[in-house]
Amino acid sequence: MPAPEATPTITVRLFARLREQAGWGERTVPLGEGVVSAAEIWERLGLGPIPLPAPLRIAINQQFAVADAQLRAGDELAFLPPISGG
Amino acid sequence: MDLPAELLISLHPEPFEPLELLAAWELAAQALAPLAAAESHFIGRVRPVAADGTALEALELEHYPGMSERRLQDLAQELAERHGVSRVRLAHRVGRVRPSEAIVLVTVAADRRGPAQRCAQELLEALKHEAPFWKREWSGGVGTWVEGNTPF
Repeated sequence: MPAPEATPTITVRLFARLREQAGWGERTVPLGEGVVSAAEIWERLGLGPIPLPAPLRIAINQQFAVADAQLRAGDELAFLPPISGG
Repeated sequence: MDLPAELLISLHPEPFEPLELLAAWELAAQALAPLAAAESHFIGRVRPVAADGTALEALELEHYPGMSERRLQDLAQELAERHGVSRVRLAHRVGRVRPSEAIVLVTVAADRRGPAQRCAQELLEALKHEAPFWKREWSGGVGTWVEGNTPF
């Protein structure tokens, strides 16, 4: 017998200041129904208001993306505070 | 058509000696072909003072494993192509970095000084804004996230 279809999920990752403010760095989140965007996940997880603050960046599957990009099951969504490299 | 640039990019959780990396990079190049006519080198080190003027104990660098490496590779590739340079060597620290330790090494080899210097400068600015790294200053046992970059 095939296993019942698993609930579609995504992985959400937070870094630096965002991770410390939220108290977690990685979480598996049910995707929900319909078209779900990165901004909706941000709001649903209580990470902050939408629209997202401008200096914050989003990555989907380790590529920069826009806040209204549509998520798919299995995606890795990351919220990135302002970058300070070099 | 020009050959694609040769890129060597590395992240270092432990201190690295930039001059040793440079020497190894030049030796490896020399074994294959005459060295390029122009090379531009930049070494960035951690300054001993925090943004608020207090003595800095260490700078902590967080990164996004996988994405940080890929972004550095993509930025180096894109700029190497745009400037028509032959080789790029990029090394970046992660983890806890002490004052005066090297945090970044950017080296570009090209046929002329203009492309070598322009590519190195643009790559350094690009990685400061377009690759996921986050700095936290440790001073007096307290960590403060740094958002944004120091003046050019």
